[in-house]
Amino acid sequence: MPRIIREADIAWEGTVSRGSGVVTASSSGAFELPVTIASRVGDPDGKTSPEELLAAAHASCFVTSLGSELHRAGAPAERVDVHCTITMDEVEGKGHLIVHSAIAARVVAPNATREILDAATKAADEGCPLSALIRASATVTVNATLEGGT
Amino acid sequence: MADRTAHVSWSGSLMEGGGTITSVGSGAFGPLDVTWASRAEESDGRTSPEELIAAAHAACFSMALSHGLANAGTPAESLDTSATVTFVPGTGITKIALSVRGEVPGLGVAAFREAAEGARAGCPVSQALAAVPEITLDAALA
Repeated sequence: MPRIIREADIAWEGTVSRGSGVVTASSSGAFELPVTIASRVGDPDGKTSPEELLAAAHASCFVTSLGSELHRAGAPAERVDVHCTITMDEVEGKGHLIVHSAIAARVVAPNATREILDAATKAADEGCPLSALIRASATVTVNATLEGGT
Repeated sequence: MADRTAHVSWSGSLMEGGGTITSVGSGAFGPLDVTWASRAEESDGRTSPEELIAAAHAACFSMALSHGLANAGTPAESLDTSATVTFVPGTGITKIALSVRGEVPGLGVAAFREAAEGARAGCPVSQALAAVPEITLDAALA
């Protein structure tokens, strides 16, 4: 099996409460984004955060899993929209923890039935590496709805 | 409690189709294209779930380390962190390698490594990804 390597860098200046960092997608060059602790735990104020990056990772991981499961089931999707919400909470005695990832998918797949979608959604959740990782320490919920199916 | 959101749209098949991270809750980035080829082969300027995980982990680790050093009375002037995520299709994410170089006035390398190990073990993204078989750390003073 090929090993695929992806890399990111962050340069952080100053203390956590007053300092700030810039996170860079080093493998692709696709983004370079400021982060601060205030925008991580409070109002995002236009800045991303580790949890938002994780939400983007989980959404983009799940979307490919669901697409390939529908294809395998003979009901290829024309379009899949996935919305992911990651929740971080302060847990007594443990500090801040990521406690939940919620996936909501909307699927346009003309040959799909509710049963096919449900089976594909379950298989996609099991097949998406990030779902499995997050589920080891937090809850993951997955919800999929069909648009334009039978 | 903090909720953070992202939205992705995909059209067409896995191999020939493509997706877009259309928007994120903060508005900080997007649209960003993602394709299977750019995830599993050459990135060709496109991000991937694994690169986003690397970015999330590097940022989370740096904040935790900065916080730990400040609490210990030896705040960092700067921290440069890299995270490298290894993905094996069909198996999953097999390894995350963290590497940090810190400028911390008045702190020895042993104490810096200890603080970095604490951040590696304790930051929320490390805890969320604790099931990754191998999370390594290379910490040194700049």
